Amino acid sequence: MHFFELAEPASLQEAIGLLGDSGGRPVAGGTAVMLMMKTGVFQPERLVSLRKIESQYSQIRLDSEGNLRLGAMTPLRRIERSADVAAVAPVVTAAMRRLSNVRVRNVATLGGHLAHGDPHLDLPPVLIALNASLVVASPSGERTMPVEDLFRGYLETALAPDELIAEVIVPANPDQRAAYLKHTTRSAEDWPALGIAVALTLNGGTVETARVAIGAATDTPRRLTSVETMLIGNPHNDAVLQTTGDATAGEAEVHSDARGSAAYKRELIRVFTARAIRQAVEGDRA
Amino acid sequence: MSGHRRTITFTLNGRDVAADIGVHQNLTEVLQESFGLFGARESCGQGLCGCCTVLVDGQAVTSCLSLAAFADGSTIDTIEGLADGDTLSPEQEAFIETGAFQCGYCTPGFILMTKQLLDENPEPSDEEIMHYLSGNLCRCGAYAEIVKAVRLAGQKRKA
Amino acid sequence: MTGGSTTTVGHSFPRMEGRAKVTGQADYIYNMRLPSMLHAKVHRSPISHGRIRSINTAAAAAMPGVHQVITGEDVKAVLPEPYYGPAFHDQPILALEKVRHFGEPVAVVLAPDPHVAETAAQRIVVDYEELPAVFDEVEALTSEAIVHEELKPAGTFADLKHLSGKRDTNIALDFHLNHGDADKAFAEAAHVFEHTFRTQQTMHTPFEPMVALADVRNDRAEIFSSTQSPSFVRFELSRLLGWPESNVRVKTSHLGGGFGAKVYVKVEALAMALSLIAHRPVRVAQTMEEQFYTITKHPNTFRIRSAVDGDGRITGRKCEVWWNGGAYADIGPRVTQKSGFTAAGPYDIDNIDIDSFALYTNRPPAGALRGFGIPQLVWAYESHTDIIASELGLDPVDFRKRNILRNGRPQAVGTIVEDGEFEAVLDGVAQRLGWNRPFDKGSGTKRRGRGVAIGFKASISPTTSSAIVSVNADGSVIVYCSTVDMGQGSDTAMAQIAAEVLDVPLDLIRVVNPDTDVTPYDMSTLGSRSTFHMGHAVQLAATDARDKLRAMADEVGLPEGSNAPLPELFIKKFGMRAGTVVGAANYKPDYAPPNYETGQSPNATPFWMIGAAGAEVEVDTETGQFRILRLVNVCDIGKPINPEVVETQISGAAVMQLGFTLTETMIIENGQLTNPSLADYKIPGLFDMPDVMENGFIEAEQHNGPFGAKGAGESGTFGVSPAIANAIADAVGVRITEMPITAEAIFRALREKAGRPLEDV
Ligand SMILES: Cc1cc2nc3c(=O)[nH]c(=O)nc-3n(C[C@H](O)[C@H](O)[C@H](O)COP(=O)(O)OP(=O)(O)OC[C@H]3O[C@@H](n4cnc5c(N)ncnc54)[C@H](O)[C@@H]3O)c2cc1C
Ligand code: FES
Ligand code: FES
Repeated sequence: MHFFELAEPASLQEAIGLLGDSGGRPVAGGTAVMLMMKTGVFQPERLVSLRKIESQYSQIRLDSEGNLRLGAMTPLRRIERSADVAAVAPVVTAAMRRLSNVRVRNVATLGGHLAHGDPHLDLPPVLIALNASLVVASPSGERTMPVEDLFRGYLETALAPDELIAEVIVPANPDQRAAYLKHTTRSAEDWPALGIAVALTLNGGTVETARVAIGAATDTPRRLTSVETMLIGNPHNDAVLQTTGDATAGEAEVHSDARGSAAYKRELIRVFTARAIRQAVEGDRA
Repeated sequence: MSGHRRTITFTLNGRDVAADIGVHQNLTEVLQESFGLFGARESCGQGLCGCCTVLVDGQAVTSCLSLAAFADGSTIDTIEGLADGDTLSPEQEAFIETGAFQCGYCTPGFILMTKQLLDENPEPSDEEIMHYLSGNLCRCGAYAEIVKAVRLAGQKRKA
Repeated sequence: MTGGSTTTVGHSFPRMEGRAKVTGQADYIYNMRLPSMLHAKVHRSPISHGRIRSINTAAAAAMPGVHQVITGEDVKAVLPEPYYGPAFHDQPILALEKVRHFGEPVAVVLAPDPHVAETAAQRIVVDYEELPAVFDEVEALTSEAIVHEELKPAGTFADLKHLSGKRDTNIALDFHLNHGDADKAFAEAAHVFEHTFRTQQTMHTPFEPMVALADVRNDRAEIFSSTQSPSFVRFELSRLLGWPESNVRVKTSHLGGGFGAKVYVKVEALAMALSLIAHRPVRVAQTMEEQFYTITKHPNTFRIRSAVDGDGRITGRKCEVWWNGGAYADIGPRVTQKSGFTAAGPYDIDNIDIDSFALYTNRPPAGALRGFGIPQLVWAYESHTDIIASELGLDPVDFRKRNILRNGRPQAVGTIVEDGEFEAVLDGVAQRLGWNRPFDKGSGTKRRGRGVAIGFKASISPTTSSAIVSVNADGSVIVYCSTVDMGQGSDTAMAQIAAEVLDVPLDLIRVVNPDTDVTPYDMSTLGSRSTFHMGHAVQLAATDARDKLRAMADEVGLPEGSNAPLPELFIKKFGMRAGTVVGAANYKPDYAPPNYETGQSPNATPFWMIGAAGAEVEVDTETGQFRILRLVNVCDIGKPINPEVVETQISGAAVMQLGFTLTETMIIENGQLTNPSLADYKIPGLFDMPDVMENGFIEAEQHNGPFGAKGAGESGTFGVSPAIANAIADAVGVRITEMPITAEAIFRALREKAGRPLEDV
């Protein structure tokens, strides 16, 4: 490990002041930062720890409209065990079960998870499907952006060096059904070859709204809009699932890696898109 | 509160301690070099095997991915603190009785995960056991015996 | 010395070191620190083959806190011939002139602070002239890339002598066996089958990474190492130093896993050289990543052909095996020969030709790994066996039984099989699988299948073990032996044997950790040889002690059969609690080396290890993903010294082989190893376990074994991979010939079969 300095500011504002031109890089749970520093791919001169900032950024609450508001510094394990999360977004609770392991979730934070920008992470497609947004704080104040717009490339996000994720907002949508399928091709606890999240509302036998997002197989987590278009206004029967599955093959640019060739992953996307939609439709309101 | 070195204080296995550390040092290293505790040990170094597990404020943590500086002010329990004098903890007894290890390198990690599980859920289902322990690896492949050990430890804690 | 009822041997005592292991107190060498020690961090080659033009160490040496930067030339200055290896003296302590594989050690930084050493090591700049590299064992036969310009056999093995000084070849050993007349058998065969199978490169990943500390001063070298081979390390380091073995001390402790990774010399020579140069104690501690550059399992290619008559009897077999030994031979030539002679499988075949080649390539070196080449062979011959059965319309178990090797018959090497319960082991698996009961083959997109496989292995011969058993005046006992307990429970087994012979309770026995100043010679802890060889030595040494105690009893006038307690005996003899009675023994089984031309030997091994596996799988035909519903392993391990420990050896071996079968593979792309970490090299976890796993052994006895026992550490690996491939073929009708068996490979094969091959665009 290289040598660096560590700052532990007591407020979000103070932390922001130490970033950017001041040369600091944020660290929250530190699980991703430590991995990158150990391999030497990341050698910051100064780390700015977010662990001591105001506790409001590590809280889970429901706002007046029933939207779920998750402080960015909340450890994933608290989100996993939160009754509010289970009520508003049970798909998030479910996704946690296979997200890394208990030890890592005990310390890894939601903000670090999103800001890391690794396309293999589980929550980005889930939050994109749920139409979640971020509150981002910078020296000039706060802005809100859809989670969907955060990811720019491999380990690249739309955050400026002096911006921090402060909060994640998951809109309340009591009629929505959602599902997330994670598929690993090597050992069970490997990073996924594919993660696919679906959120739907139904009107009788037809799909009224649909958001479908994938991660892991593509450079960045992203929506499959052609699949959404094919679903909306159509019945969710096997024939439609078949064609939506087929539609995925063309839409996403997929890369070969040790978890599978691009051609194989496209087949997986086809199969798992249909399976995820079916699970969302058939599951309890998820 | 900046700089390359600092002194941290924390509670280690029930005793208040202090250590002079480099901020680049991880918790595994500090437990070994400053306190001579080798039960948490680095193997994969990547959060996967759990050989470096310790409990921080009662929560199992990957000490190879934790900066020691973050331990300041916390309560840390390691495998060395689990036995009460010569009396082994129920988890430790269960691992011996079921033969749940071969080389033993992964064993402290599995035992501490078992402890966290049983602290949170004294009557875990098999699915719950698998879930808690699936973040630890055993290269000797003692998984079947380890699951048995967790069940036995649960029974022992109730008795 | 077998038979009769035993009070300690044959019973399942918990491991002696259990308490230390569950309390975090176990004393692994990785925990060790020496006063005023320096940490070594290695700068490694970023390419697979190249000539070193220059090494610039200035920036590293200038870093505050750096003690010294050391290169291969510095080593050469103090050790003029700094090459080591059990079969060839081909491996430089630090690279000289050339690098031959990705990750090869090129230079070292020494510093009191390991972080300083690590950061400085990154600042070493090496200029290479890259050379063409070869990675495939078959290409290595004819490639222009030559890994070693000249071959340098160590002189220890007779069958390598003819290779001395050979130039411009990558062949590090060719082994040939002819048994009967294979050409004739093929000419007369009713059916002829030919298939080629391949296995991948994998790594042991012991959880305690390789580590050695060295303290060399004056004419004394002390080495503390997580080695499986303390005696060999002493031999090799004393050779390098030109010192008598008594000036070199190698001490080890319990290992955090070994699996063959820690046999022979690994990091010890480097630690020794660094301490010799720096005049300070030095610690060389690898990371998990570095282990991948140090030693691996041989990938191989195996072309197998069989001649079968009209009755389903295999009449002839021709085997050609190419072993990918990587850049340094390590013990690869032994794998080529020892495993080579079993390549035709556990079948009674009259006419056999085997050609087995060890090849140098530019991969990280390959050596011993649990099974010593056998799992790679079984993968091929048992897949091949199932294909034949299926094409002839025969039941796979019946077909095997029709051809199985039986006691009293010669194995291909010409040695008559004794105490080899092949058929019983196969029956054991079939029975546990319920082979004769109907089997639900699934439907729709979920298809099920099952398969079996059986393999076997000879012991490593000729090898010697020595032991000392001393009886203290209070009746407690110390066993001195150089067998290394790396989790296989050997300390407990040796203690049980000594306790049995001396009729002393187990808790009065202490087994000393190997320390070459103290514990006598042992060839090495490898190849499941310890229970048999060291077990014998301990038994003989304990018997020697017992005889001396008897003589002592006679001398002091205790009547025969008086059974006076031991403390009383010592007091009678020495007038107070004093004195020690020491028993000692060497053990070496008989052996006859194979004839160089024919490969035939009347006595190639003191015992055979046999293991069979049965698998049931369910395949998702939409993705190729499959689940192992049941995995059964049955072995012939003779009579177990400690049944529970033996059972965990069998299951542990099977779990490890499961990883090699399904997920583990070292990926080399553009000359770089891309996945040297557990994040990218996936070993099995809890969720990868079969739904049901059963492990057992059959009633058997090795008549020449200590208390009827023989080795058990590897047999659980043998059948796993082909049993799974055979089950998949049974489920969905596709045959995977290359390991690992991935979902994608199955999916592609299914699409191929359906006439819609998956297009890569
Ligand atoms: C062994 C292991 C297995 C894993 N398996 C999985 C898995 O299966 N699925 C999965 O989804 N994930 C997995 N992860 C990844 C894990 O989810 C991330 O490591 C974690 O979410 C990162 O959170 P952190 O708080 O530790 O981030 P940190 O390491 O602290 O930070 C990560 C990045 O985010 C930046 N950052 C942190 N907080 C903020 C903020 N508030 N605003 C802006 N930038 C910030 C940091 O500068 C850094 O660039 C695994 C991790 C490990 C170690
Ligand atoms: S060493 Fe920390 S998890 Fe493996
Ligand atoms: S007992 Fe050896 S790694 Fe688990």
